[in-house]
Amino acid sequence: MVSHNHTHTAVRPKGLSDKKKTALAGYLFISPFFLLFAVFGVFPMLFSFYLAFQKWNGFGEMTFVGFKNFSLIFTDPLFWKSIYNTIIIGLLGTGPQLIAALILAVALNSAIVKFKSVFRVAYFVPNVTSIVAVAIVFTVLFSEQEAGLVNATLNLFGISPVSWQTSEWGAKIAIATMIFWRWVGYNSIIFLAGLQSIPKDLYEAAEIDGAKKWQQFLFITVPMLKPIIVFVVFTATIGSLQIFAEPLIFGSGFREESMTIVLYLWREAFTNNAFGTASATAVSLFLLIIVFTTINFFASNRLDKSGK
Amino acid sequence: MLLLAFVFMFATACSNQSQSDNESKDKGSSEKVKLDMWVFGSTGYEKLAEEYMKDHPNVEIKIQSTQFDDHHNALFTALSAGSGAPDIAMIEVNNIERYREAQDRFYNLYDFGAKDIKDKYLDWKWRIGESADGSFLFGLPTDIGPTAMFYRADVFEAAGLPTDPAEVAKLIPDWNAYAEVAATIKEKTGKPIADNVELVYNALRDQAPVQYFNEKEELLIEKEPYIKQAYDYTVNLIQKGYLGSNGLWTPEWGNAMEKGSYATLLAPAWMQGVVKGNAPNSAGKWLITNMPGGAGNWGGSYLTIPKESKHAKEAYDFIQWLVAPEQQLKSFKDMGLFPSTPSVYDAPEFKEYKDEYFGGVNTAQVFAEAAQKVKTVYMGKNYGIVQSEIVKALTNVQKKKADPEKEWKEAIKRIKRQLERQ
Repeated sequence: MVSHNHTHTAVRPKGLSDKKKTALAGYLFISPFFLLFAVFGVFPMLFSFYLAFQKWNGFGEMTFVGFKNFSLIFTDPLFWKSIYNTIIIGLLGTGPQLIAALILAVALNSAIVKFKSVFRVAYFVPNVTSIVAVAIVFTVLFSEQEAGLVNATLNLFGISPVSWQTSEWGAKIAIATMIFWRWVGYNSIIFLAGLQSIPKDLYEAAEIDGAKKWQQFLFITVPMLKPIIVFVVFTATIGSLQIFAEPLIFGSGFREESMTIVLYLWREAFTNNAFGTASATAVSLFLLIIVFTTINFFASNRLDKSGK
Repeated sequence: MLLLAFVFMFATACSNQSQSDNESKDKGSSEKVKLDMWVFGSTGYEKLAEEYMKDHPNVEIKIQSTQFDDHHNALFTALSAGSGAPDIAMIEVNNIERYREAQDRFYNLYDFGAKDIKDKYLDWKWRIGESADGSFLFGLPTDIGPTAMFYRADVFEAAGLPTDPAEVAKLIPDWNAYAEVAATIKEKTGKPIADNVELVYNALRDQAPVQYFNEKEELLIEKEPYIKQAYDYTVNLIQKGYLGSNGLWTPEWGNAMEKGSYATLLAPAWMQGVVKGNAPNSAGKWLITNMPGGAGNWGGSYLTIPKESKHAKEAYDFIQWLVAPEQQLKSFKDMGLFPSTPSVYDAPEFKEYKDEYFGGVNTAQVFAEAAQKVKTVYMGKNYGIVQSEIVKALTNVQKKKADPEKEWKEAIKRIKRQLERQ
């Protein structure tokens, strides 16, 4: 390519060929993203792999400690507890949420509902609300006191007050509720987009054949939505492995009931100044996400094959 | 989110440009010295800086005030990266412990002659600003947070107890008396003596001759009896039902102040503002007297000069003026910052101080007395780890009815696990 162009450029006084200029301009236009990504994305990631084998308090010299950081966190019951918590909160927060999102999307897609765009905006609002504000409001709702809104409501049904912040399941349910509220609208908008891409004639044909509404849903809607469902499950899985701000604000003082992996990482780095073990946690989380994504991947492939 | 955490962690390593900018600016105007200063909260230092600049036309001071957490995080990042720190940084007393191992990031204020002004300050306050061996001075003392006992006169009255500050002080001279009064109040009014586990424990902790660590950063809580005693005492009150369970700073906690649903609040001088804010209609109901058994300190800050500063001499001249007794008196009058210079306590403004909200008590005098009773203790760089785990154990005893001995042992295990990584 270069040598071929050379004969042309020999005629020109100086500089690049037009083609190269266009290419260069193109690269320059997209370069901001890559530069920022290199500085704020790639470099920190590589650096944290490096840090995972060092002992460092944020100041002073780093010392190489081999796998000691990993053995420190792997022998810490709280680390395993944080993984357990993350998975439980993730399941509680995303499982019911995806089902609810699908139902909401179907309802919104049906002809009965008026003011569709109003609903769409309303669904999306929680997702763009500041996560900190959400967590603070929910902290008030899930107050441990009997007079807290949730406890007072439970009381109407004769259920005794729950220690939302300090009990094993209370904390998890409260945090899962926050996640539910924040993401259900987002996911239903995505489902809605998927629903609208399903051709209408499929439903018409089914209706002529005498299929009931629930049959249409189960045998047309769900199979046609499969790619969307796979996408939503993927992102929800990765998202729930990174739950952080909610437990940080809600569960005061890094309590073990609400300790998630990222919160554990954060405590190591920013309150205990142990950047080595924090990075080792980050690397472990990275591997965990790979494992989960792989499982997801194979599961959805399976699903695809069995569908055909 | 993970990415964000990484970015936070290592943005530090990537922000080298800003320093060279500063340098070139400084070289451009060699006569006029520009000082950047970072503070948190409302210090009122802007006004004092104006005053200083009038007398020192060659100095220009730029004060940037941010919220408490943001301030300390930004400072940690800047100091860790070795770039972006200001000429003068205010650091809160608990946060200064994080920098014990980072002497090389600060100027030793003893090199500027800080020894000469040492006697003007409370000894315990000064000591925390020094390195363990006393050869290095991180910062000059600003305000302090001596603690006293706030109490609800109406609750005391309902329990048939005296309400006058002097009599209450006589009634509750020590912790045994405190527990007895707790029993009386519980019996007569059904209310807890204190709203929160943490504040009672902290009050006891602050009166111990040694706390969590010694100067060699060795963990003392298993060898020395004091912290365990404080723990046991708090556990005892919890198990008898004398303590409330509102988390610090929660809305319920604030509400309880107005409603008077508990009897005493063991808190520092700056809590006066918090009480007034949370309980605007309770003027005259909250009174203040001496803390049982002595006093403690909660909060207060230091002014440090990060090593990056190009004008350390000028910065030092300014801060030693700013925290001199005369200026501390002004900060007290304007913003309620409690002075760390005892000579101020004899000033007429202090002697004749009266707070109508607190029933006309001379609160300044109560806190001044407390300030002089605070024990000199070494806190240590891992103070926060131990504190947080012990409070967790106490919370479990209260909320989960957990076995206190088991909780104590668990807490020590958790503490040691974290200390291993330091």
